Amino acid sequence: MLNVQRILDTDILIVGGGIAGLMAAICAGEQGIATIVAEKAHVRRSGSGATGNDHFLCFMPEIQKITLKEMINEMMAGQVGPWHDTLLTKVFLERTAEMVHRWHSWGINMKPFGPDYVYMGHAFPDRPRMYVKYDGHNQKEILVKKAKENGALFLNHHPVTDLLAEDGRVTGALLMDVREDEPRFTLVRAGAVIMATGCSTRLYPNSMTPAMLFNSGFCPSCAGGMASAYRIGARLVNMEHPYTHAGTRYFARCGKATWIGVYKYPDGRPIGPFVRRPDREIGDNTSDVWKSVFADLMANGTGPAYLDCTEASPEDLEFMRQGMISEGLTSQLDYMDREGIDPARHAVEFGRYEPLLFGRGLEIDETGSTNIKGLYVAGDPIGNFRSGIAGAVTWGWISAENASRHVKEAELSERAREDPLIAARLALYEKLLRRENGAPWQEFNIALQQLMNDYCPPAPRVRSETLLRAGLKYMGDLRAHALRDMAAPNSHTLMRGLEVLDLVDLGEAVMTAARERRETRVQHIRSDCPFTSLSDGEKFINVELKNGRPVTSWRRRRML
Amino acid sequence: MPPLIDQSRCIGCGVCMEICPMQVFRPNKETRRPEVTYGDECWHCNSCVLDCRQQALSLRIPAPFMMLHVNASELEPGRR
Ligand SMILES: Cc1cc2nc3c(=O)[nH]c(=O)nc-3n(C[C@H](O)[C@H](O)[C@H](O)COP(=O)(O)OP(=O)(O)OC[C@H]3O[C@@H](n4cnc5c(N)ncnc54)[C@H](O)[C@@H]3O)c2cc1C
Repeated sequence: MLNVQRILDTDILIVGGGIAGLMAAICAGEQGIATIVAEKAHVRRSGSGATGNDHFLCFMPEIQKITLKEMINEMMAGQVGPWHDTLLTKVFLERTAEMVHRWHSWGINMKPFGPDYVYMGHAFPDRPRMYVKYDGHNQKEILVKKAKENGALFLNHHPVTDLLAEDGRVTGALLMDVREDEPRFTLVRAGAVIMATGCSTRLYPNSMTPAMLFNSGFCPSCAGGMASAYRIGARLVNMEHPYTHAGTRYFARCGKATWIGVYKYPDGRPIGPFVRRPDREIGDNTSDVWKSVFADLMANGTGPAYLDCTEASPEDLEFMRQGMISEGLTSQLDYMDREGIDPARHAVEFGRYEPLLFGRGLEIDETGSTNIKGLYVAGDPIGNFRSGIAGAVTWGWISAENASRHVKEAELSERAREDPLIAARLALYEKLLRRENGAPWQEFNIALQQLMNDYCPPAPRVRSETLLRAGLKYMGDLRAHALRDMAAPNSHTLMRGLEVLDLVDLGEAVMTAARERRETRVQHIRSDCPFTSLSDGEKFINVELKNGRPVTSWRRRRML
Repeated sequence: MPPLIDQSRCIGCGVCMEICPMQVFRPNKETRRPEVTYGDECWHCNSCVLDCRQQALSLRIPAPFMMLHVNASELEPGRR
């Protein structure tokens, strides 16, 4: 029988030791608050920032010479898009400069080009710049060291499978130790929990290599993490809006802004209006504005789209290579070197990646808190805000400041030890673990992706009431099949199997929200509601679980 | 499937098993040395290659991940 083998108590439990989780641990530690970081993999090399990043969105009006309002407008026009509550954007922006100074003082090189910060990339010509270009190749090493110095306790290889709650407040979590084949379970009781589980991948079939489950631009281990919060009643938001990233084909990897080139049609014409020659100062923002450009060119036959860097100067090409190292793209560089792919001579094909939950997910307020007392969210799983590395860093810090305040008043729950959810979940895990002649988790992940792709696709394909109603019915069938047939004979496969069950919960929430938004907006195309409603864009859709079923409600967008 | 362990260099220290974000490596049941067990879950992040002090690791990128490219000189007006 599986049972809880140890109980640990802490002030703040941080779920996920990626960028946001480590920042939260450092901040709480500075205030003398005890933290446990439960990490699915190992904090040194986990998550989307594992080997580096190089563009940090930051508001420094004295350098940029712009106002806060102008900065927000620029963010909404570019890559980030209109899914923010701009009240959160403001709270975030006001703290970004401080974060950049902090990182630099800790040894992450935020000024790799001389004595000052340099703004570069992801920009429009003759418009303000938003991103500080930095060298993040050692960012995780430094953050781990700092968090350790500040007293964080790391539980590596301990994915959180479930959160616990009573009377509308979070009380702790169940962690699965996956180091040995036989899983072991730990209960952590905490005054507050910060969800920092990264963006959710593996919900849709891989757009380029559908036979490969793990060829994603972002870290594929961060699949489904936010579902445990949803299951205890935390509200999701913006789930119906597909977010799709883009990059090289077929080797999927984020980091397109690090490439210095011009997107071109096969006959050499530039695709976008922004640049004619490679420009390291601004990059080529075409795909941040025309978000489906690469898919559209394939669909209408004018593609494929190439990125052509050949007109960049040798200095710019060397600069780009260094940038790729800062950005953590060394595996791609090694591959290109081995295969003789040389940006000085070759144009590289770019494609659009499948939708993922990045900036769609758990709803927070200006303190980073969800609607569940003591439950905070930081980084990529936030649903009403998104800004990559800067978002992870800043919300990691802000959520920990507020959680630290919260835990001073909070008492640990006595009832958590006996929470009936623990026994119920362990009984399920036992079944999956011991089932004979069952089906592997991959079958259910693939089946889920088929349903998402057929019944809730992103633009240019359509959604509709009848498609979504059918999709939701089939999603219920799939969950029942998975619970009946899935077998996960060891801790590793059980971890993957539980990710799939989490993804089914989230997929159902996506379909439910898509069904509710009866209008067409950006990449959410409703064949039965082709218009974009003037007023509905200012309203967000929440999804929350009530009596085990996803329920939607509308609210106003919280604008500055 | 990737990654590849060069057995003549590997000293079985286990760093790759510890840090791989996908748990691609698992210990051999008898020797406890790392083995590529879940190779098709590799994300090609390069962490194992970067952190192996013996330089015993390399990534083999599977054929479906080939990076599509052309000679840029072929992108010319009139060459449709
Ligand atoms: C190649 C690449 C380049 C990028 N470049 C840039 C850039 O230049 N600028 C930019 O702004 N953004 C960039 N990004 C995005 C940026 O890296 C992410 O936005 C950022 O890392 C998010 O931080 P996070 O803490 O939210 O998530 P992550 O850093 O991904 O961390 C999430 C953590 O949660 C853990 N986890 C997940 N589920 C569980 C669970 N159930 N229990 C316990 N732990 C769990 C994961 O293992 C992981 O460690 C890039 C991404 C990639 C992949």
